[in-house]
Amino acid sequence: MENLLSVQNLTKRFGPVTANDGVNLEVRKGEIHCLFGENGAGKSTLSSCLYGYYRADSGVIRFKGEVAELNSPADALRLGIGMVHQHFVLVSNFTVLENIIVGSAGTGLFLTKSDARRKISELCESCGLSIDLDREIWELSVGEQQWVEILKALYFGAELLILDEPTAVLTPQQSDQLFRILDGMRMRGLSIILISHKLREVMQSDRVTILRKGRAIATVETSETTAEAITALMVGHKVSKHVRDRSVEPAGEVLAVDRACAIGEWGEDILKDVSFNIGRHEILGLAGVAGNGQKELFETLMGVRALSSGGFSLEGEAITKPTSREMLDRGIGFVPDDRSLEGLIPEFGAAENLILGWQRAREYCRGPFLDRRKMDALARRKIEEFKVVTASADLPVERLSGGNAQRIILAREFLHSRGLLLANQPTRGLDVAASEFVYEKILEKRAAGFAVLLASEELDDLLRLCDRIAVIFKGRIMGIVRPEETTLLELGMMMAGDAKDVQRTVQ
Amino acid sequence: MLELMQGPLLISILAAMVRIATPLLFSAMGELVTQRAGIWNISVEGTMLLGAVVAYVVASTTGSPWLALLVAVLACALISLIMSFVTIVLKAEQFVAGLALNLLASGLTLFWFQTYVIGREPPKFAGFEQVDIPFLSDIPILGPVLFSQRALTYVSFLLPPLVWFFLYRTRYGLEVRCVGENPKALDVKGLGVGRRQCLAIMFGSLMSGLGGAFLMLGYSDRFVPDLIAGRGWLVVVAIIAGNWMPFRIVGAIFIFALLEAVGIHAQVVGVAIPHHVFLVLPYVASLALLAGLRSRTHQPVALGIPYSRE
Amino acid sequence: MISIQRRSGSSLRWNVVCFSAAILCAFLSSAALLALSGGDAVKGFSALFTGAFGSQNALFGSLAKATPLLLVGLGTVIAFRAKIWNIGQEGQVLAGAMMAYWASLMVGSLPYWVALTVIALAGLLGGGILGLLAGYLKTRFGTNEVISTVMLNYIVIFFLAYLLDGGPWMETGVTVAYHQSPPVNPSLEWPDLFARGAGKLHIGFLFALAASAFCAILIDRTSLGYDIRAFGSNPTALRFRGTNVRRLLLVVMLLSGALAGLAGAGELFGTAHRLRAETLLGIGSSGIVVAMVGGLRPSGVMLAALFFGALKSGAIYMRLQSGTPAGLVSAMEGLVLLFFLCAVVATKFQIVRSNVHA
Repeated sequence: MENLLSVQNLTKRFGPVTANDGVNLEVRKGEIHCLFGENGAGKSTLSSCLYGYYRADSGVIRFKGEVAELNSPADALRLGIGMVHQHFVLVSNFTVLENIIVGSAGTGLFLTKSDARRKISELCESCGLSIDLDREIWELSVGEQQWVEILKALYFGAELLILDEPTAVLTPQQSDQLFRILDGMRMRGLSIILISHKLREVMQSDRVTILRKGRAIATVETSETTAEAITALMVGHKVSKHVRDRSVEPAGEVLAVDRACAIGEWGEDILKDVSFNIGRHEILGLAGVAGNGQKELFETLMGVRALSSGGFSLEGEAITKPTSREMLDRGIGFVPDDRSLEGLIPEFGAAENLILGWQRAREYCRGPFLDRRKMDALARRKIEEFKVVTASADLPVERLSGGNAQRIILAREFLHSRGLLLANQPTRGLDVAASEFVYEKILEKRAAGFAVLLASEELDDLLRLCDRIAVIFKGRIMGIVRPEETTLLELGMMMAGDAKDVQRTVQ
Repeated sequence: MLELMQGPLLISILAAMVRIATPLLFSAMGELVTQRAGIWNISVEGTMLLGAVVAYVVASTTGSPWLALLVAVLACALISLIMSFVTIVLKAEQFVAGLALNLLASGLTLFWFQTYVIGREPPKFAGFEQVDIPFLSDIPILGPVLFSQRALTYVSFLLPPLVWFFLYRTRYGLEVRCVGENPKALDVKGLGVGRRQCLAIMFGSLMSGLGGAFLMLGYSDRFVPDLIAGRGWLVVVAIIAGNWMPFRIVGAIFIFALLEAVGIHAQVVGVAIPHHVFLVLPYVASLALLAGLRSRTHQPVALGIPYSRE
Repeated sequence: MISIQRRSGSSLRWNVVCFSAAILCAFLSSAALLALSGGDAVKGFSALFTGAFGSQNALFGSLAKATPLLLVGLGTVIAFRAKIWNIGQEGQVLAGAMMAYWASLMVGSLPYWVALTVIALAGLLGGGILGLLAGYLKTRFGTNEVISTVMLNYIVIFFLAYLLDGGPWMETGVTVAYHQSPPVNPSLEWPDLFARGAGKLHIGFLFALAASAFCAILIDRTSLGYDIRAFGSNPTALRFRGTNVRRLLLVVMLLSGALAGLAGAGELFGTAHRLRAETLLGIGSSGIVVAMVGGLRPSGVMLAALFFGALKSGAIYMRLQSGTPAGLVSAMEGLVLLFFLCAVVATKFQIVRSNVHA
């Protein structure tokens, strides 16, 4: 088979960081080629270079045998390289049609929608997609939004489609559907670069190139290798995965949520009759596709979002009208999913971020004044204990890597919490080693008697860490299951709301 | 108050409202396009002032109001490059850049005013003439209100529909709105975000200059440093209160214009209320409008956020 | 290849280069303005300098002019550090002066120092209430504070115009109406720091110095300052971490307005001695310039206030000497601000020379 794309010796640096270091890559016509690697291995940077979003510092990219000068996405699109971004780049109050045609190389002053409409309909048909072109993006499900992204690329006549972590926001079943669509596109001669860090998906591709620390380690035929071999190549060394200690049994009741309901901006149900409890020495997993109410559940428990009805109790004490102040004072630790927005002050250093929420606590103050000495001592201790890599305790945390920023949040929450820890996607964007560090710390808390609510998109992780797993869909708990009594398939069905047969709740 | 509402006076008030609204409409439609491109440009006040100053200088030296208008518009388009440079190239806080431009404009104006205008014989120049539209101006009530105005007023009537058409029915309008909502969506298609924002700022600036120049040339032959007197800010209020939609903005502007028109006439008629009460009405109304009309559904999502790739 | 990159740290040398360039550009363009207006730039600037620093009297004059700028600038710093864009300083200065004037009409019978304290507090209160009002509009109705503070400026200006033109505070019994109040009770004027004749520097200068120390400590060393800086960087995280951000916003607007109000009271009772819009207008906008040129740091604001105070003071002498209008200073404020803005951004970047191997 001929090569559609070949990359030779591509290097891309950001200041002192080398994101891609002499990468070689060849993609054949009509194949699904997986770029596999940990977070931070340089997958996204490589794809951005292929798409002309970043300009490579050195190296040669050939497309259809000719050297491609990729100075902007426009060059890539003209050649036939399209990209589907991990975080969709859509205008939420434009219609599907408008999103697809905006900036297209049409001529003339006026918007001529009819031609575009016909062309897109044809594309939909050939891919087996069905979507209403006149609905606005915010009305669509996440899966449908992804189709819009794919249509955008195809509308420009892409022959090579790059998908960046396309299944991060999908249920296992939706992922399967996506792969069926991709398969159909491959049959029509399109090439697909699939960026992923999930083994399940890698094994569905034709070939896989493994990236580690910015270098392409190897390219192998998927049919001639095993998942274990690929993982070994990706990580480079063995990482021991933590599992919960089954000899410690959950007991008692720390948090009990009783028929909690919350209503959104347009009167829609965000949370509907959510009930569950967590005991001491227990990790309750929360599984669900992003945007099904997990964030809002955490926000209500932290007192930054009001419940419309129902309530919850902590250590047997009913909480009415909670504020974030009260919840902090009651000793709840909270690791938010969007750490830069909700967990950290980007311009502050580690020292000041470590007392965020406790800037008036007696431990760190003398009257109205902050006690710098105590803050600095704390920062020194925690930076060492949590192995935070930072030039100084005052270096703004916006300059730190995601893993180091997360360590600061963990250090703060573990220090100030007593009894209950709420962690929403604590390993998002972290590499395997950093993720395991986070899990290790969470398991330590479980051993110490904490109740933990842990939401994650990594189902495999939930299965090995949690005592029970609750599945949330459209603000409802579809069921609570024990990891040893369930399967990925069952979890996936519940995450898709299709839980008629499996709905059950274990105490 | 009853006598205020009677025939000739009412017509006079309404006609004044239409003429007062004219410069506001120019500025507002320009600023709307700028904001729809995601630029929170608060330098309308200063730009209108510069437009007025340039128009005064050119009109008093050449005697031609149309040439003055043209030069004022060009000057403001040129000035907008400062705003573009600071906000798009340097990516500074847009509010701060706008504030700096306002302060610069008022400072330069004050200096120029003290150097060239104050204490000198005021130059004589002709402003714009009233143009009666044949037949239409003879319609009772509507004629004198709508069709016995300055030529540019008629142009301003056409502006809101034109801007609406541009934003919602043309390719470029779609792109401008896209830049304001999610600039990356355009960037990943290889289309320059900065260039479109720069053009949107320029359009907004030249329209504000037009508004300021009209304010100068339309009805007065004397320059005072507080000629604009907050009208640029009222324009920004109108855009927010009008929820970034062209025709609602027009509505807000006519409220301000009506209040000012009533104020002027109250002074002439002599009502037993201090005239300051009437002068302050548009500003009080603007706060009431903002507190009352709180729908921000059409506010561009990326308004005021500098765009950069990393 | 030469490229421009965001720098990871800051370099003192590069900062000095950037800001020196900004000052140079501002002076060159001001000189160009002077020349364009037919003045002699060298003569103009030397008159400006002499008027600002040429004698002890001139120096005291400069400090007196710097006093309200410093107070307003500090108030601006408190708000802007929280990225709360209070630009209602003009109105807040007026409100402070009006409240203080009103208080002075009622405290004549009190002992001198008590009366003085009441007047100063009234000034703080007047500006503070106006700031609070804009803060309330923001927390209650979500009104953008940029807009509301500007609108409140106009409302206060018209209110003062009414009071002094046909209203209860108009000076009566004079042949020409100047739109001003009668002089304040001479026994309530703020004391000068030095014996008369050695230049007029009233006690407000000490207030301004005290306020500088207060702000410096507040911002860097207290819990409230922590909240203010955190709010400017990421209000969402602050809200998630147990801080009542609405109350914080109100406190910031109150403090910010109060300092501007004190400036107004000081101008009225320290130098002008009668309420008159012309003597107070412009202080607010100059104060904003001072705050931003001072890098939103109290120490920087002190320097900037001295600089612009000197310009304002020297401008009076310059007009007498060379006929150059005092409005030059307003133009210079705008120019300095714009160039400083560019310099601040420039300090965050570096020019990198790199060799690219193809």
